[in-house]
Amino acid sequence: MTTATAPTTAAPASPRLGSLVRRHAAILIPVAAVLAAGSIGLGLVGLMGVPIRTALDAFVGGAVGSPYAIAASINRSVVFALVGIGFVLANRANLTNVGGEGQIAVGGIAATAVALYGGVAHLPLGLAIVLPMLAAVAAGAVWGALAGIFKVKSGTNEVISTLLLSFIAIWLVYWSVQSEALLRRPRTTSATLPESLEIPDSTQLPLLTGDFSFPLHIGLPIAIVIAVVAAIVLEKTIFGTRLRAVGLNPVAATRAGISYGRTVITALALAGALGGLAGSFMIQGEQYLLKDGFSSGYGFDGLVAGLLARGSVGGVIAASLLFGFLRSGGINMEMVAAVPTALVMVIQGLIVIMLAAASFWLDRRTP
Amino acid sequence: MSAPSAPLLSVQGMTKRFGTLLALSEVSLDIVPGEIHCILGENGAGKSTLCNLIFGVHQPDAGVMRFRAEPYRPAAPADALASGISMVHQHFSLVNDMTVVDNVLLGQTRGVLDRRACASRLDQLARQYGLPLEPFAKIEDLSVGERQRVEIVKCLMREPHLFVLDEPTAVLLPDEIAALLDVCRRVAERGCGVVLVTHKLAEIKKAADRVTVLRGGRVVATSSAPAAEIDALVRAMIHRDADAPATPAGSTPIGGTAAPPGASADRSAARAHGATEVLQVDGLTVRDVHGVTRLDNFTLTLNGGEIIGIAGVEGNGQSELAAVLSGMIEPTSGSFYLEDLDLTRAGPKAVTDAGIGVVPEDRHAVGCITGMTVAENMFLSRLGEFTRWGFLRRGAVNSAALALMKHFDVRAAGPEAAFSSLSGGNQQKAVLARELSLQNLTVLLAAQPTRGLDVGAVAAVYGHIRAASARGVGVILISSELDELLGVAHRIIVLYRGRIMGMCPADPGQRQRIGAMMAGHAA
Repeated sequence: MTTATAPTTAAPASPRLGSLVRRHAAILIPVAAVLAAGSIGLGLVGLMGVPIRTALDAFVGGAVGSPYAIAASINRSVVFALVGIGFVLANRANLTNVGGEGQIAVGGIAATAVALYGGVAHLPLGLAIVLPMLAAVAAGAVWGALAGIFKVKSGTNEVISTLLLSFIAIWLVYWSVQSEALLRRPRTTSATLPESLEIPDSTQLPLLTGDFSFPLHIGLPIAIVIAVVAAIVLEKTIFGTRLRAVGLNPVAATRAGISYGRTVITALALAGALGGLAGSFMIQGEQYLLKDGFSSGYGFDGLVAGLLARGSVGGVIAASLLFGFLRSGGINMEMVAAVPTALVMVIQGLIVIMLAAASFWLDRRTP
Repeated sequence: MSAPSAPLLSVQGMTKRFGTLLALSEVSLDIVPGEIHCILGENGAGKSTLCNLIFGVHQPDAGVMRFRAEPYRPAAPADALASGISMVHQHFSLVNDMTVVDNVLLGQTRGVLDRRACASRLDQLARQYGLPLEPFAKIEDLSVGERQRVEIVKCLMREPHLFVLDEPTAVLLPDEIAALLDVCRRVAERGCGVVLVTHKLAEIKKAADRVTVLRGGRVVATSSAPAAEIDALVRAMIHRDADAPATPAGSTPIGGTAAPPGASADRSAARAHGATEVLQVDGLTVRDVHGVTRLDNFTLTLNGGEIIGIAGVEGNGQSELAAVLSGMIEPTSGSFYLEDLDLTRAGPKAVTDAGIGVVPEDRHAVGCITGMTVAENMFLSRLGEFTRWGFLRRGAVNSAALALMKHFDVRAAGPEAAFSSLSGGNQQKAVLARELSLQNLTVLLAAQPTRGLDVGAVAAVYGHIRAASARGVGVILISSELDELLGVAHRIIVLYRGRIMGMCPADPGQRQRIGAMMAGHAA
């Protein structure tokens, strides 16, 4: 028996490898795409005159080089994932929410305002943490729902309205931190920066380990729960089915008794609520104060994670983790190895394009 | 016209499949210069497919064409246009925001748009063919007939050798139809071949030089003297005059529903339920956004078990009537009640909940969601019955769907099969199954329920409608096929330009009278 099988296992080694690749193509192709994009990126770094070794060290150091770096990367991923899950929820109803950035911004404003001036700092039972978060969720939901209402009432394309609402929200942050009547910290010297006071310790997200060298906060478990709930809602509930029906054929869905308006507004409100929550995590979990530009384009990274996931919550998480570590590594590469920001952006863009191309290719292969 | 000259277009053995559907089978015909060649056939007979093959929209699975004595194999409409073949499609391809001239210039000009030259060319064509058009009017301000003239002029600007019109008269008023047929004649007189696709006999009588009849994707008859042979052509076109629907004994309903043996039993059933009014429609009027009255003071009383047929050329208010009664649009004025419940502005959900089943006219746009499964389509409005702790019990939905599929003979790979994988007939049976299985079904509104279906599916649909009526359900059957209404309905109401022209019993002897009312003559 053993003697008979030995040659047969040895001989067709390469066909076996081929079938292995084919069976796991859904994983291997995206990984290959990321690696290829990364290599091209490093090649560009080399062309810029930065030693590739230095750049790579800085990238790895920033992404996973220390417990602190890992925690920071994951915290970042959590923000992307929330926005991305919101995108996928709304996208199930064929809505394209590109307003994550603005929803983060209003969420951040609401969380900061409630944490600083809502009188929540001394509330028991974690309310000091939860109430600012809920305020952010409500603000984000309103911001998302507005786009839904515009669409239902006057047919405004949600791509336009969510994007323009983002600009408004971003300038609302600017206004809030510039005006002492709003959130700007009291001006003590002429050098006082245009930003809010730091939020009280009791309103800051607790760290999972309590160790500041590994500052992973409770946003991670919250996001995991939300991801599981979102996946269940999409696949196993009437609401998920209705979202899909409205997305596929609004007229037939209406005929079947599904309210188009309510579904669209709810879907965009949910997406906005998750964006708002992401904003509160950024304030309460990382930055602890509101300042201009605090949202740092995370809304758009989350949007890309949602787009690449093509409707799957699991895909959002994978893409968010990738972008989270990528962003951290990129920032460090910029700081330590002096690789220009623009190049870091180019590499990220390359990865997105390669992943999109890979998924397109996979789609065509398996119709 | 002299003896048929060498063919302009020669089609040999054209065969085309769409999935499992054999749309065209070995179709051969010749078009000679200067003739009006009508392609006659019912919905789903393959007429549009044939046009689309000639115009290069689809490519045949088998068969060859020769055009002007050259092999002709269009890979795309652009090839057909370059060869000198123009086509007016059933659905207009006009940009509503733009003027007539700009629409005509679309896709014709390189470089600078010479609007004035185009306008004068339009005027010239208008005189030549009798196609009056205001060159600088916006499309959105034009009537349907005028829009079609724009489409025709777009084609004639290219001075085609072959001019194909796919069901051009479906949307036109009678005087517009007459004008269109005149235009076709003038085009033909200039030596152009004209292919006119239609299912209307009056047009054949009036305009056709030759006729090819399609049924089920095959050529079943041809005639060089169509006006004299019209009865034979009709028989060829609607072969089912022998079985369904005029002698309903041939159409056994499928499934275990209690079914009447035939129309006479239907009528007695109707009388048995006769006393109970189920639907009261009072003065429904619909004006569209342009203020045009689409449905004018429509009033009707429907009894339980009764089937009322709504006859009329399409576009005379039937769609608006169906949309109002199914809750999709609100009427401008008037009201309708199901028993004592006012549903006038209640919306689709309330209409369904109250017990009105709706088989929409446009199955793909309104009746179903092709991207979802058969089971989801069957129970989309009733998912609430299949939950536990907020979760959807897919297994329960699927087994309920399977039971319905068996009962209504819906053939699909299973309840989880994509709705798009079903044939048209099975899709329609699934929609009927959904609507007829509403628990408190009192009224069924079926709009063009057999459009595009094969004969077997048509018979099944009639069987289910009759069975529902025998159960005491009141039925409103909207159809543009008079034979269907005469075979299935008890009473027929004729709509013309949104008004009720008259009402009469569904008796084949009334055919002439109904035809006259459909054409707008008060009877």
